Amino acid sequence: MTIREAADALRARRVSAVELAAAASARIGRLNSTLNAFITVTAEQAVEEARQADAELAAGRDRGPLHGIPVAVKDLFLTRGVRTTNGSKVYEDYIPALDAAVVDRLRAAGAVMLGKLNMHEMAYGITSANPHFGPVRNPWNLEHSPGGSSGGSGAAVAAQLVYAAMGSDTGGSIRIPAAFCGVVGLKPTYGRVSRYGALPLAYSLDHMGPLARSVRDAALVLNAIAGYDRRDPTSSRHPVVDFVPDEGCSVRGLRIGFPENFYFERLDAGVEQSVRGALARAQSLGALVKPVRVPDIAALNTVGRVIQLAEASAVAEPHLEHREKFGPDVLALFDQGRLLPATDYINAQRLRRKLCREFDQVWSEVDCLIAPTTPNTAPRVGEKTLRLGGRDEDVRLATTRLVRGINVLGLPALSMPCGLGASGLPIGIQIIGPAWEEALILRLGAALEDGGVGIPPCPAS
Amino acid sequence: MKDWKAMAKASGIEIDSVEPLEVLEAAFHPLVKDLAPGVEPATGWRLEEDGE
Repeated sequence: MTIREAADALRARRVSAVELAAAASARIGRLNSTLNAFITVTAEQAVEEARQADAELAAGRDRGPLHGIPVAVKDLFLTRGVRTTNGSKVYEDYIPALDAAVVDRLRAAGAVMLGKLNMHEMAYGITSANPHFGPVRNPWNLEHSPGGSSGGSGAAVAAQLVYAAMGSDTGGSIRIPAAFCGVVGLKPTYGRVSRYGALPLAYSLDHMGPLARSVRDAALVLNAIAGYDRRDPTSSRHPVVDFVPDEGCSVRGLRIGFPENFYFERLDAGVEQSVRGALARAQSLGALVKPVRVPDIAALNTVGRVIQLAEASAVAEPHLEHREKFGPDVLALFDQGRLLPATDYINAQRLRRKLCREFDQVWSEVDCLIAPTTPNTAPRVGEKTLRLGGRDEDVRLATTRLVRGINVLGLPALSMPCGLGASGLPIGIQIIGPAWEEALILRLGAALEDGGVGIPPCPAS
Repeated sequence: MKDWKAMAKASGIEIDSVEPLEVLEAAFHPLVKDLAPGVEPATGWRLEEDGE
């Protein structure tokens, strides 16, 4: 059931918010011991919130489509009175006195909070093999990683523990778990969704966004969380529109760019086949698919890594004297970042401006781009290298190769499932748009979904 | 190429491997070489406006 279907059922009194919350709690109770998607479950609080949601609906106070819908948030969003660990030993006893902006807005929209989701330690990695709270498992195959860093969010949505979850994306951390877990993940434009009250990894690259069961569900969540917030100095006053695509929305005449360079290099064969299949479907729906050369994405990735290393180490600096509190992979990255000279960081930010201008030219030729989200399906838990295009590649670098650069540009990008690989694991397609064009990429995503691009529900039970 | 090991030692940082930094530097420095002086950093600081 999608958010929209649940919302209809609530209003038709076929189900109550308390029943939805109880069903979610029961499913979490049954599956979380194997998936390890949640660090903290707030079942009792959820029932209270659901009771209030039911009372409000009965009294004619309807907060909109998320009213009474069970959701959860990555454990880096501050939640008043509920422990917020950032997936880290540093924050293991941290109980915030306030809610993050996103949590505030979800509550204002009537969503019912089921708890805090497991993640890669401090959001600094793509496996969600958390050394302190245990590894998150992929609901499609427990031997495989759910991706990360929002791995608990991807697993919880795929296993239908909640209807939607919030994640954060600094170098692909919403889109990667969305692709590996077979759900929809949206990284909005930088500045579209407030970062206030989300523990930072890298200030200028962090984006907050939803993971959901369908494109329209992701759009419903974006409707609730988007908009200016004076408490986030990078929050934008750009006008917020209704992001939810119409039923039967058309993509006729939409110019979709098919990158001739970079994005289709060194892919798993199944990934390439599925993404090309989705492109063909877009064409059959009336879109104009045209080849386009994109600027140097490898350079963007390099720039993104320099910025991330420096900013993340700056954030973590006060905690780094307690080295025993960090997992080895995260500690190694923090140490690398502390060694980078300030000149490298400044030059990376200068290159960022230059590359942003170059990338802007793409939008004079096409309205959006379609590419794979990742070159591979979910690796096995603990796998360190992948063989792609006849070359062994580090899992982290391979998995972030097609997503990281878009964080440097701050552009909106949607990952949605487009097929299953030979191993039966999901494959994700990425739709990238110009700044502030979330509505456009969501419309294309919804049209593809309506046109049959997708996968069967996750078999987790 | 920077001597990352010496830099780590001088900074009192215990680092297992400097290879990732060497690889990153090899990719990054050629990009910087041709940057014109007029290209300013994309950092976003500005004075806060009244009413924000």
